[in-house]
Amino acid sequence: MTVKIITDSLSDITSDLAGELGVTVVPLTVIFGHETFLDRVTMTTDEFYRRLTDGTVWPTTTQPTPAAFAEVYNTLAKETDEILVVTLSGKMSGTYQSALGAKNMFKGKCRIEIIDSQLVAMSLGSLVISAARKAKAGATLDELVNSVKKAMPRSHFVVYFDTLKYLAKGGRIGKAQGLLGAMLSVKPILTVKEGEMAPLTRLRSLSAGLDYLYNFAKGYPDAELVAVEHATTPDEADRLADRLSSTFPKERIIKAVISPVLGVYGGPGAMAVTVLEAEKK
Amino acid sequence: MKQVETINGRELKEMLTTATSWLEKSASDIDALNVFPVPDGDTGTNMLLTMRSSIDEANQTADSSAAGVAQAIARGALLGARGNSGVILSQIWRGLAEGLENKPSVNGADFAEAMHQASVTAYKGISNPVEGTILTVAKDAAEAGQAQAANGDADLISVLEAIVSAASESVANTPTLLPVLKDAGVVDAGGQGLYTILEGALRYLRGEAEQMQFRKPLIIASSVPQPARAMRISPKEEKPFGYCTEFLLKGTGFNQEKIKTKLKKDGESLIVVGDDNTTRVHIHTEDPGKIIRYATSLGTVHQISIRNMDEQHQDYLEMQKDRTPEIDIATIAVVAGEGLADVFTSLGTTAIVSGGQTMNPSTKELLMAVKSVASDKVIVLPNNKNIILTAQQLQSLTDKQVEIVPTETIPQGVAALLAFDYEADFQTNAKLMREAKAAVRTIEITRAVRGAHLNGLNIKKKQTIGLLDGELLVAGKDPLDILTKMLAKLDLTNAQIITIYYGADTDTVEAEAVNTSIREQYPRLQVEVIQGGQPHYNYIVSIE
Repeated sequence: MTVKIITDSLSDITSDLAGELGVTVVPLTVIFGHETFLDRVTMTTDEFYRRLTDGTVWPTTTQPTPAAFAEVYNTLAKETDEILVVTLSGKMSGTYQSALGAKNMFKGKCRIEIIDSQLVAMSLGSLVISAARKAKAGATLDELVNSVKKAMPRSHFVVYFDTLKYLAKGGRIGKAQGLLGAMLSVKPILTVKEGEMAPLTRLRSLSAGLDYLYNFAKGYPDAELVAVEHATTPDEADRLADRLSSTFPKERIIKAVISPVLGVYGGPGAMAVTVLEAEKK
Repeated sequence: MKQVETINGRELKEMLTTATSWLEKSASDIDALNVFPVPDGDTGTNMLLTMRSSIDEANQTADSSAAGVAQAIARGALLGARGNSGVILSQIWRGLAEGLENKPSVNGADFAEAMHQASVTAYKGISNPVEGTILTVAKDAAEAGQAQAANGDADLISVLEAIVSAASESVANTPTLLPVLKDAGVVDAGGQGLYTILEGALRYLRGEAEQMQFRKPLIIASSVPQPARAMRISPKEEKPFGYCTEFLLKGTGFNQEKIKTKLKKDGESLIVVGDDNTTRVHIHTEDPGKIIRYATSLGTVHQISIRNMDEQHQDYLEMQKDRTPEIDIATIAVVAGEGLADVFTSLGTTAIVSGGQTMNPSTKELLMAVKSVASDKVIVLPNNKNIILTAQQLQSLTDKQVEIVPTETIPQGVAALLAFDYEADFQTNAKLMREAKAAVRTIEITRAVRGAHLNGLNIKKKQTIGLLDGELLVAGKDPLDILTKMLAKLDLTNAQIITIYYGADTDTVEAEAVNTSIREQYPRLQVEVIQGGQPHYNYIVSIE
């Protein structure tokens, strides 16, 4: 039986892509005041960013409940006897804990393995995509666990924030604290390091940011996957993807939209690039 | 949406028990917010212990009405109050209990009214209330609660949501009210503690007690943009702090006002609270013996705690040392002007040495800065041609590794600092910073100190002159005119940002006019104007 793969909505895998890959995406929750939305299920990313910029209510986010995972486990257990869950970094959210909690409550016979990817956005998404392809090709749960764990250090992520405003308001900023309070307009470049957002450097313009993302990806010419993500600037993302297509075959480039959950901190205008380095033979 | 109309005494107790567990999770984070000499070093822990005493008392009471439980909470807090923040918290609960008197249960309007009473009582207990502390947070929260209740939506959850949201904003705002917080880049610890308790209570009402075990309270970030702390090299005198003296007084017929008046001149941070039979006293004094002697003349003295605050201060410094993130590479910048110092600090400079044109720092001052930073690898940005040579002496005077990035102007220094790569090693960073300084052009507009013939220009003393990367290019009258002429001489095809730092002698109105004019002339470019506050230079302009 094919191993079924579950991830969370921070993987930035759209429902179309998820359907194609046979992956189940468990949404986190976005809360605007009294209203709660399931990430990309009951609220589109466009609607989210519109509210974020226009609204006066500051959104917050919460992890999926253990019950949400339990429901998915029970549904999938009818089709398979092995499930792999890959979640975003446990240092950024309790999603991993919820997935574990649900596993402890689970009474079925299906084997469930859960991995804290220590990553976020497409750096998590690319692991899931790669694993889903292997699962379709017949890989076992143990093989997949091993392969995802080995791929984690090969998944590199950089993100450009157009503003520090949202990062400052969000509070959950890990090591990026030092970036706050710049008096000049500064565009930070961040990465994920040991499961937390960490600053890489600071630039002063969008074009410098795009150059940085471009040069970063170019540093891994033999990448298995390259993902270009944006929050509210699809045209810029298309241009960046075009630039990258001189280095990478088009079919290895994935375009995606940064999840509202990360968008709470990144704000509008954020852009990100992920490179999943090819496995060393 | 979940609604809660009223809660009874048992639920009130449950709510505060949940809030106490919530506080427990971040007690140590709240301790870390402390800024000495804000009285009492372990705000989070002290508030937690006070809350535990409240809950113990509430568990022992037979009265199951809301009023009865609130009384027990207040009594427990008074008996177990620790530290300044604990005592103030006990007053908040006392006020809340007064507000809930005779109520079998609590609805939203009751709670809003009781919070108001809590805030009033808390202010009364303190001989000299300070804004920007837990008191302000309690007041702001209470006002929002009352407004919500008056709006007609008196559902308990709605009222508490309004209270929590206002408390959160109020906490974030504490640094604007209290300079000592602003300097340290933190919010008030007591205020944060109260916010955490209220937020925990709200989560209980929402039925989130289950999920709370997986989560942690949020420590609010200061709304004042100053989290980066750069050392300013200037020695200050040290004052002794005295003894933090606390005890519980038992007896009959206590008059808190009388005790307050008597003790007022014997110390600082005086708090006297309680009732006829039980009174808690907190004071910072040089002579604790005198205070205790007076107390024993009034009744019996319990739970005496006298702590040497100079020792506490030492412990605090040690704790801060442990908590200061280990910096791998330190940067030291020579900067004149408060605004420019803030710019460098906000970009992560570890230490600032005051100086610049006509006030070059000595080698000794620079060496002091190098020694003071907590890193063996130091990058120095002189930011002035005349300081580079002095800075280069440093390498032979210390065992630390010192790299001088020879920045000649403030914009070069800023560009170098921005290029700092958090992941790169020492040598790579020095190299990156040297390269970055070359990518920026600097225009400086100042006044000639004497008349001269230079570069074909006939310059009179005190005439306004413009320099491009240190070279005299234009002389004239009007700074804007000179800046416009100089920008016209530059190739701005690849430029993106013009940053204008205006000096101490330039007023904001003139700087705004320059801003508008440059924006109109170069609509494609991003123009930023910042009050640099530098002496001598009307404008320092960076073109990137």
